[in-house]
Amino acid sequence: MKKNSYRNPVGVSRATGLVLISPFIVGAFLFIVYPFVSSFITGFASSRDHSVLSAFRSMLGNDDLGKAIGITLKYAALLVPMKLIISLLVALLLNVELKGIGFFRTVFYIPSILGANLAVIIMWKYLFTTGGLVNQLLGTVGISPVSWYGDPDSSLFIIVLLRLWEFGSTMVIFLAALRDIPKELYDAAKVDGCGNIRAFFSITLPQLKSVIFLNLILQIIAAMQEFNAPYILTNGGPLSSTRTVGMLIYDEMFRYGDESMANAISWLLFVLIAAVVYVMYKLTAKMREEQR
Amino acid sequence: MKKLFLMTTILCCTISLSACGNKKSSSVTAPDGKLDKCSLRFSWWGGDDRHDATLKAIELWSKKYPEISIVPEYGGWDGWTEKVASQVNSSTEPDIMQINYDWLVTLSPDGKSFYDLGTLGAFLDLSAFDSNVLGFGKVSGILNAVTVSVSGRCLFYNSDVFRSLGVGYPETWNELIALGNTFGSEGIYPIDLDIQSGSTAWYLAVVYVQQKTGRQFISPDGSLGFSEDDIKTALDFYKELEENHVIRSVRARTDEDGNAALYQSSEFISGNVAGVLEWGSAVGKYESVLPDGVLETGPLLADEDGNNSGWMIKPSIMYAVSSHTKYPDEAAAFLNFMLNDEECAEILGTTRGIPASHYTEAALEKSGSLNGLAKESSDILNAADTFTISPYMELPRMKSFYNAAIESVSYGTADTADAAKLMYGSVSEYLENIRK
Amino acid sequence: MKKLLFYILLAVIGTIMLYPLLWLLGASFKSDEEIFSSLCFMPRELDTEVYKNAWKTVTPYSMGHYFMNTFMIIIPKTAFAVLSSVLVAYGFARFDFPLKKFFFSLLICGMFMPSIVTVMPLYKLWNFLGLIDTYIPLTLPALFASEGIFVFILIQFFRNIPREFDEAARIDGCGTLKTLFFVLVPCIRPAVISIAVFSFLWTMNDFLNPLIIINSVEKYPVSLALRLSADSTGQGYEQRKIIAMSVIGLIPSVAVFAIAQKKFVSGITAGGLSG
Repeated sequence: MKKNSYRNPVGVSRATGLVLISPFIVGAFLFIVYPFVSSFITGFASSRDHSVLSAFRSMLGNDDLGKAIGITLKYAALLVPMKLIISLLVALLLNVELKGIGFFRTVFYIPSILGANLAVIIMWKYLFTTGGLVNQLLGTVGISPVSWYGDPDSSLFIIVLLRLWEFGSTMVIFLAALRDIPKELYDAAKVDGCGNIRAFFSITLPQLKSVIFLNLILQIIAAMQEFNAPYILTNGGPLSSTRTVGMLIYDEMFRYGDESMANAISWLLFVLIAAVVYVMYKLTAKMREEQR
Repeated sequence: MKKLFLMTTILCCTISLSACGNKKSSSVTAPDGKLDKCSLRFSWWGGDDRHDATLKAIELWSKKYPEISIVPEYGGWDGWTEKVASQVNSSTEPDIMQINYDWLVTLSPDGKSFYDLGTLGAFLDLSAFDSNVLGFGKVSGILNAVTVSVSGRCLFYNSDVFRSLGVGYPETWNELIALGNTFGSEGIYPIDLDIQSGSTAWYLAVVYVQQKTGRQFISPDGSLGFSEDDIKTALDFYKELEENHVIRSVRARTDEDGNAALYQSSEFISGNVAGVLEWGSAVGKYESVLPDGVLETGPLLADEDGNNSGWMIKPSIMYAVSSHTKYPDEAAAFLNFMLNDEECAEILGTTRGIPASHYTEAALEKSGSLNGLAKESSDILNAADTFTISPYMELPRMKSFYNAAIESVSYGTADTADAAKLMYGSVSEYLENIRK
Repeated sequence: MKKLLFYILLAVIGTIMLYPLLWLLGASFKSDEEIFSSLCFMPRELDTEVYKNAWKTVTPYSMGHYFMNTFMIIIPKTAFAVLSSVLVAYGFARFDFPLKKFFFSLLICGMFMPSIVTVMPLYKLWNFLGLIDTYIPLTLPALFASEGIFVFILIQFFRNIPREFDEAARIDGCGTLKTLFFVLVPCIRPAVISIAVFSFLWTMNDFLNPLIIINSVEKYPVSLALRLSADSTGQGYEQRKIIAMSVIGLIPSVAVFAIAQKKFVSGITAGGLSG
């Protein structure tokens, strides 16, 4: 994926890099290549007539799969941009020196620590059920109650909202990157009479480009592998409207014990994620090039 | 990218070649008729009450048999299936295991993954078990597991609500449906069924059709007894319950409760839903969210002639011995202690349900520790003409077929005929594949 | 005035963020009936008995014992993860070497593949090596940069450091490793701390891997001990105790984050908003 390969410093042999990444080389074979290949083989060997082909054929026969792919893509498209924007804004908000800001930083990260805790499940229930808080608030402005959990068209939104609310890890990466922006840039801008908003667009955003891309990729991967949130909130329903590919894999593997099906779908998801990331990489290539 | 896939493919091939040809040999240790000094692993899942009691029972055992030490391995239910499945697949399972009924199908399809308990008569006394109860643990004629307790689903009602409406518990299906009107005018429901992992909606519909036709939905050996028409009848019955305000529609329930179980639902706690279909062995959590003594056991629903057949029972918990154990006799002796020993039974109480062993049941009866909803429901089911639930009926994939059918009928995305056709197709195809 | 508005904004968002934790804390004192029927986090009465019981557990070991177990996994794992990720990311970000593209693709592919598929093959590997029921399967992989995400994050941060820094260090006579640890790592300290924190928090919450690998109750980490009581299929199901246990289990995570967050930002006031 990395385009510009540069020369090593003078006197540094080409082996230096290899030595540095040697832990990864060992690890990659033990913990990436071996299990993947093994899953490919043993997984498919346990399929009905012991062939890769039949495992993939029965995967294509899985009625839920096509729908799950559509839902997963929709979910990622809804979640990722909003999550990036929110975590960036909150990171900016928290990147100031105020008394007690550390407390707020911790508090804002708490939902991400809670993850799939019981508290989250019950809180969501109270927010979005028929007589829940959200519907009551909507009622005060004259909007009739929305069927959040029960309507196949709206159920995905409450999952997106949960993951938006758990923006902590993305925010932390932005916070770490904001620190790298040299203070002098802002000072210079101020001298030039540059306002905060202009400073944000002309300094902060360009400086953050590579980290925005980093978070974009990480969030796309996470969103497309999502299974935990729909699992605890909706169990994939109603009418499979929240059954993501990740959930399908989890179900096949652990609920139904069908290793070959789970592996076949995993490989499909792998290709799908690779394709989406590749497209994003190409789309953002121009933008990222400008920086260098 | 292209290059990568090429290289990965080459890697796949090389590793696959080297990975072949290491089949593990499995030899079963035969019983030698005497108890040796050894250490045995024993695993179970459960809640605190079961852990506490079992640990105490093991303490008692170690006083009686200091030569044979028991290493306990235990945890919560979450993920336990995955853990045991990966152990059995890699032959690293404990010597003695508490297992779930449907694991017989998934973990021991040929009946050879667990030790043949029939050969361990020297130390394991099975005379205290009814022969049909022993039959639950047989796979292809081999005794894979012993039933610890038997349980079935019964209807339990919120007595406060029924009393305040001045109605009695329904005894027939028609009475149940008629209750929908009485309750409906108050905006509440006499019972509720769900399409979650328990799939109680389909369970009740199956009972209804089994009673009507005398045919069992799925027989213990996994053959489908229902026709497509029977399935349609069951789905029609479900639809009738919804339309008559006996239960909430799937949509209403999902809107009100989200993904929470009924005992976590404010509708149940407040009495807006006044009944539940639940295993006698697991009704405790419903009991504890209502005031003491409010939840009561109802009669089994019958047809107009008073025929209440068609209800079902199953082993709620079983014990199995690993086929790789080095100490089958010692494992059998420990199992015998857990199943039949009176002193041990006193310690264990009903933490694994009402004991199926007559020895221990009598011992508990004598000491007065058998009471409550679990005992009542077990008595009611014992008195009726029940079917044994097939382990195949309980398979998670099968449940997903039932739930999908019920859901589509409830949401109206399919009529009952179409839903029945689809479900019949997928159920029979799956059963055929898994029994191969 | 501006400051006040700022605090109000923080407080409003903060409440939304904090509410579930407060609710969880409150619920641990409530009866089962009260837990599910009231949204208010204040319990009717405060009885700390449930926490005493939760800390004691029904096992022969207390929660303290399980915390020690968790730390025996987390500390080496996090140290391994940080060290190996920094080295590997440095290699990828700053050097040219044979097959670089291949290994980088492998790193990326490792992140794309759902981790679920590796559970069974790895279990078989550890079993073959006789390491089931030890902590090695849970810690050792970190030594080999098994978390591709960490490496990926660090690579991006390394790239943002101007290469002049390296060159200046070399002219001053720093070797490859000296340049890394004395020049580059201090530049990306927040990122390094972030991955340490992520490693800590994710390991703390990880349930599936220890469940499959660890058999002896004596060796259970907290995440497994927390679920010891959670069996809704049986009779003895006490919701508040399960909640109390999960509150206890959250304490280290919140504490670690509270300590670490200072390091994410230091000495810089310019955020674009503060003015």
